[in-house]
Amino acid sequence: MPTEQPKLDLSTFLLSSIHDMKNSLSMMASYLEDALAQTPTEAGEQANNTLARQKTAQALYEAQRVNNHLIQLLALYKIDQSFYPFDPTEQSLADLAREALARAMPLAESKGIQLDCECPENLFGWFDYDLVFGVIVQALLNAMNYTCNKVFLKAAPCEAGVLIQIEDDGPGYPEFLLDQGNALQRGICFETGSTGLGLYFADVVANLHQAGGRTGRIVLTNGGKPGDDQPVGRHLSGGCLSLFLP
Amino acid sequence: MNLLTIPPPNLSRNSILIIEDFEGMRVILRDILTRASATRIVMAANAGSAISQLEKHPFDIILCDLHLGQGKTGQDILEEARHRALLPPHAVWLMVSAEKAAEMVTGTVESRPDDYLIKPITETMLFSRLTRQLEKKRALAPIEVALREHEYLKALRLVEAQLDDNNPHAWDLKRMKAELALLSGENELARTIYQEALNLRNLPWARLGLAKLHFNEGHYADASRELKQITDGNRAYLEAHDLLAYTLEKLGDPDAAQEVIQRALATSPRAPLRQLHLGEVALHRGELGTALTAFQNSIELARNTPLKSSQAYLALAQVQLTLNQTDAALNTLSRLATDMHGDSTAQLLAEAMQIPVRLHRGEKDLALSLAQNLATGLKIDAQHLPTEAVFNLAAPLLALGETSTAAALLGSLISNHHEHPEFLQRAQSIYTHAGLEHEGRTLVESAARAATDIMNRGVKLSREGKLGEAIKLTREARAKMPNNARLLLNHAFLLIAWMERHGRDTALNTEARNCIELARKLKPQDKRAGELLTRLELIGNDFELPA
Repeated sequence: MPTEQPKLDLSTFLLSSIHDMKNSLSMMASYLEDALAQTPTEAGEQANNTLARQKTAQALYEAQRVNNHLIQLLALYKIDQSFYPFDPTEQSLADLAREALARAMPLAESKGIQLDCECPENLFGWFDYDLVFGVIVQALLNAMNYTCNKVFLKAAPCEAGVLIQIEDDGPGYPEFLLDQGNALQRGICFETGSTGLGLYFADVVANLHQAGGRTGRIVLTNGGKPGDDQPVGRHLSGGCLSLFLP
Repeated sequence: MNLLTIPPPNLSRNSILIIEDFEGMRVILRDILTRASATRIVMAANAGSAISQLEKHPFDIILCDLHLGQGKTGQDILEEARHRALLPPHAVWLMVSAEKAAEMVTGTVESRPDDYLIKPITETMLFSRLTRQLEKKRALAPIEVALREHEYLKALRLVEAQLDDNNPHAWDLKRMKAELALLSGENELARTIYQEALNLRNLPWARLGLAKLHFNEGHYADASRELKQITDGNRAYLEAHDLLAYTLEKLGDPDAAQEVIQRALATSPRAPLRQLHLGEVALHRGELGTALTAFQNSIELARNTPLKSSQAYLALAQVQLTLNQTDAALNTLSRLATDMHGDSTAQLLAEAMQIPVRLHRGEKDLALSLAQNLATGLKIDAQHLPTEAVFNLAAPLLALGETSTAAALLGSLISNHHEHPEFLQRAQSIYTHAGLEHEGRTLVESAARAATDIMNRGVKLSREGKLGEAIKLTREARAKMPNNARLLLNHAFLLIAWMERHGRDTALNTEARNCIELARKLKPQDKRAGELLTRLELIGNDFELPA
């Protein structure tokens, strides 16, 4: 095709490589999920079978984690460069919760974590499905990393919008995360090895959602101390990420 | 433990097409579907085999990857399938992609997939989307049928009926209602819905709808203001960029128009119509190099798709001629003949447009013999030739002394556009340049007068109650000037009046509808098109007008 070839810069390679890696990881995740679905779980299964399931689930978790990060990086890049097709539509929160929990379930099962959920079937909210889905899945995976054995997902109507919360019964968020109100300034924490990407992404996504003079936001809290932004009661004692969408 | 589980859909009775270039992914999707008891699964690895499968069988569910390697995208296949009515009304089209793409969220009810899935696809995700969409499409099928029959009012009525009972897809339906209102000329109804949506939140589709209303009503400054609100923040909304470019042209700012098109092309370059538009604007601005590349791109991208047309080839040949690249121009014309081999008008144009090239090369004898050989064909087909081609051909024909062919072409052009002073002026100036000012004046005046006369005679006959005679007159006139918007609307008006008196007639109904649709394309600001569509649809129907 006689198109004028623009000079390739590094970001072009980065983008196309991310796409390529994402495709591979999607395939890998699908294979692993398939493998898990096909391994029998009946009582009396052999010990090595259980071990195989656990390892497979762990591999699936790692694949999903990297995949999520790549999706977040791509979305952030597009938002930054003003070509993310932000598209809020009216969506079922129950569908969102179902699909997010399904993503987290194989890992929860293998780690023996109890996943619970509370969400009315007839609750609808306005949001960009893919972005919010990414935030919820990431929050669930994080919670499973820090929890003792319970993770709770809740969606409920709140004043002029919806509130989605992900709670765990682990030690809670470290103080420095709670102190800094704005996730955009949290940056990289070299002590914990956290890049802060997940929270940054959640914050950017929340901020994109605006209606009636209100802007979406995330709030981190610990230990069943509901703040002003939490009309919904707490269920678990650990960390809690609240996402408010107007 | 409450995990909101829903039972998997039962797909045992559904026929399913998987369009995916990657074998591994095809197998994964098939295996998931098999777990929902699906047995009738067909797989296609590329666009060509997908289209031939869609031609053979009315699938209930289509899972289609957006990016299929080289060539056509999933979006191209969807649009072709909808355009050619290859899908049953209840069909669910799920677009699968590695990331959210602009194509998925813009466009009209005709070009949007029912839903899109971002990889990796999990069983729960696929099942919950399928369940929801199958249920939704079952409810929407009667609306889809009405849409295909172009019964927009009926479709509007059906949408309203579904909106009454607390529908979970309320805003999908309202968006559809607004689009239907636009199609049936119910501008105020559409405006109300778009305003309601915008009061709720800043929704790009609602703002775009509002801008379309302004554009159709000729309020270009208002359209431009709304569109800039969409495009300034984000270059992913391609349709808004395209409309903004047309709006800026109307506002007399081709520089800004070109900038906007190029911005949209930077996001999505594989769009033949956008490339064509860039070529036209660049040509208008005298930026020949840009125009040349854009027309070439448009031709390459549209080849083997339903979007291909003579327009890009003719424009490219004209630019090449202006740049003195006569070999290239001849080459372009011969490619036009090859690529559009089923189209007789394209064949005629591929030969005829060699005349200016040959003349430019000093091959006067060759030009003359071409002109003489093609004279009859050109005269017969005159009313179907694109205006730019006629203008580019007329001067060389006059220079060769082929005055009767030139007069037939320009006369036909003028009667098709008798209310377009700019065209009359261009025709006159071609004659003046050829030293035939007087002949030009006579031709332009008589052709314009002939068109007006027919209109007046038609109106007179219909006032006298001689509808049959009036219809005969306008029908004959339409054959001679098929692109005259006023005539088309007059003819449709007469056909409708006849049917209102004598009852609905399928052939007349189609004839009237075709006239109105074409007139609307030629003259979108004319409100009569919408009014006539409404009257046409009400013939023999007992549903009420939407409030």
